Amino acid sequence: MLDSLALAVSVPLIGALLVTAVPGRAQGLGLLAALATLATVGLVTAEVWQQGSLRSDLGGWGAPLGISLVADGLSAALLAMAALVALAVSVYATGYFRRGETDTHFWPLWLLLWAALNGLLLAADLFNLYVMLELLGLTAAALGALTGTKAAVEASLRYLLVGLLGSLAYLLGVALLYTAYGTLDMALLGAAVRPEPIAASALVLMTAGLALKAALFPMHFWLPPAHANAPAPVSAALSALVVKAAFYLMLRLWLDVFAPLVTPWAAGLMGLLGAMAVVWGSWRALRAERLKLMAAYSTVAQIGYLCLFLPVLTALPTGDARDDLLVALLLMALTHGFAKAGLFLAAGLVQRSAGHDRIDDLGGTAQHMPATTFSIALAGIALIGLPPSGSFIGKWILMRSAIESGQWWWILPILIGTLLAAAYIFRVLSRAFNLEPTPRRFVTQARTEVPALLLALTAVAVLGLAARPLWRLLGFEGGL
Amino acid sequence: MRRAGTLVIGALVGLLALWLLWVLRDALVPTPRLAELALRELSNTGVSNPVTGVLLAYRAYDTLLELAVLLAALLGIWSLGAASPGFQPAGTVLRGMVKLVVPLLILTGGYLLWVGGHAPGGAFQAGALLGAAGVVLRLAGDARAGLPPVPVQRRLVVAGAGVFVLVGLATMAFGTGFLSYPHAWSKWLILTIETAATLAIGVTLAAAYVGGQPQPPSDTDGPS
Repeated sequence: MLDSLALAVSVPLIGALLVTAVPGRAQGLGLLAALATLATVGLVTAEVWQQGSLRSDLGGWGAPLGISLVADGLSAALLAMAALVALAVSVYATGYFRRGETDTHFWPLWLLLWAALNGLLLAADLFNLYVMLELLGLTAAALGALTGTKAAVEASLRYLLVGLLGSLAYLLGVALLYTAYGTLDMALLGAAVRPEPIAASALVLMTAGLALKAALFPMHFWLPPAHANAPAPVSAALSALVVKAAFYLMLRLWLDVFAPLVTPWAAGLMGLLGAMAVVWGSWRALRAERLKLMAAYSTVAQIGYLCLFLPVLTALPTGDARDDLLVALLLMALTHGFAKAGLFLAAGLVQRSAGHDRIDDLGGTAQHMPATTFSIALAGIALIGLPPSGSFIGKWILMRSAIESGQWWWILPILIGTLLAAAYIFRVLSRAFNLEPTPRRFVTQARTEVPALLLALTAVAVLGLAARPLWRLLGFEGGL
Repeated sequence: MRRAGTLVIGALVGLLALWLLWVLRDALVPTPRLAELALRELSNTGVSNPVTGVLLAYRAYDTLLELAVLLAALLGIWSLGAASPGFQPAGTVLRGMVKLVVPLLILTGGYLLWVGGHAPGGAFQAGALLGAAGVVLRLAGDARAGLPPVPVQRRLVVAGAGVFVLVGLATMAFGTGFLSYPHAWSKWLILTIETAATLAIGVTLAAAYVGGQPQPPSDTDGPS
């Protein structure tokens, strides 16, 4: 009996254990584990595609006594995105880190982080999710400090402490729910939860904890320094995957577990915070002096876009319109995952080549690296939301749904954010067109430049032009 | 300014506590929740200590990942650079005490590991004692806290999660499902997992106390 769900967590875990035990071969074993993990995730996605949803009762106990793993279209799509991004990051890391110290520290932590991500996306049990959040937070903070500079260690320590505060708030909420309803299984809880103070308190505590981890405005203060000072492959994973995992969990809680509790006002508050995140994050990205800091602030804005979906989702009745909006939300998350990972990987190459990443002085460097600059441009197109990127469709459906549900005011932050995004991306790109002679080679280092390019290309072309299967994966009719 | 901020945070946390007390006023009556069900099913787990039953049978997957969390913490500590130099070698009296205490700690650890099947005890308690033995040795001047050389340390710290996940995959391969122990084997499988976990936890805690990445052998001899 092949349990693809358990494999998707245990394969990267075994990889992490192997590279810890045999540090001399960390790189080869790490890449092998990355490929194997991608294969198991492919299996999960294929099974979800065929069967709609999967459930596995670990240990054979079943809920409520045991722990289960579940996968549906939403988790499978994010799982697949995470696996592709993580593979690209792994390949990039083989070219980015020099063999030796950093290399032996990177691989075990990185594969543990991947195992935690997969575990979080597949979990069906609230306490199990707490363990996953802890594993994710610890590995993410340790990876962020790998550059070893004072700024990086300081930012990562803050990240660790903020993450702990978030986890503890979440855990307090879990304790309240278990006290009130006597189960930790999300499906059972979803059926049992009633609109009463104890459940509302749990919702507030858990949402606050996860919003802290997802860096939702105004709790984003820790993100820019932590993501901007980490090594480039780590920044890519933190911004594209880790932050999104916290948001995914928040979405699950709001849509599945606490659905009877969510009022238009509560969802409106999340939307308001999201709108402020979009405007503030984009504005700071425009003002950022360094390329990686710009990318980090753009992540703050992108989390804001995802939160803008909540009030519109709660306002729409079940039906095609709501299904479309859910796919649009997923499409935004996936596009941002690929685009931001590609952007950070490319930014790391620019930084390495120039010795700095000050946007105003990047001229010659950017021009010497055509493939990398092209990646930044493609990722930028996806971040702005120009066609044919996935986020164009995502924003389009969001604006359409906002008008249909009578909440036209959510269009304003989207427009402002898009305009600012165009400004900060073109500010970087304008440096690439100086008077330097054109280099002869498009790609200078294939191992690092090609992963970045492929990620950015996926965000723009694949997700935008071939978004239709997402509807089928989520089990919905219709499509574009 | 800073003082005012602290006061505000304290007041807010106090308000939160009051709010939670009010919210919990009805829910805190002692109801069995899952405990009854857990006790009823205990005979199927292969152990008779309910805590071990929860940790190694019902919620074994959580425990596996908690071992991974411990490992992640140690890897994080190792990535931060070298350990601080060792402590002074112990005086006569301390050395005498260490000679007495460390074997006792290890013995008690072994006892707690075995007894965990039917009475309070288990891998985490036993591992904590092993870790404490390492701390005592380090305080008495052993730069490596009594741990084996670095390559062996690396293999030991992954042993707990490694054996655990391999048992899970083996049960999956034999058709009962991930971490579903066959009934006749469950006691021995749990004991195997717990033994490996005890070693891993002990080494992890001691190595975390040493607090830096393992040094090449020439540096770790320290004062002796």
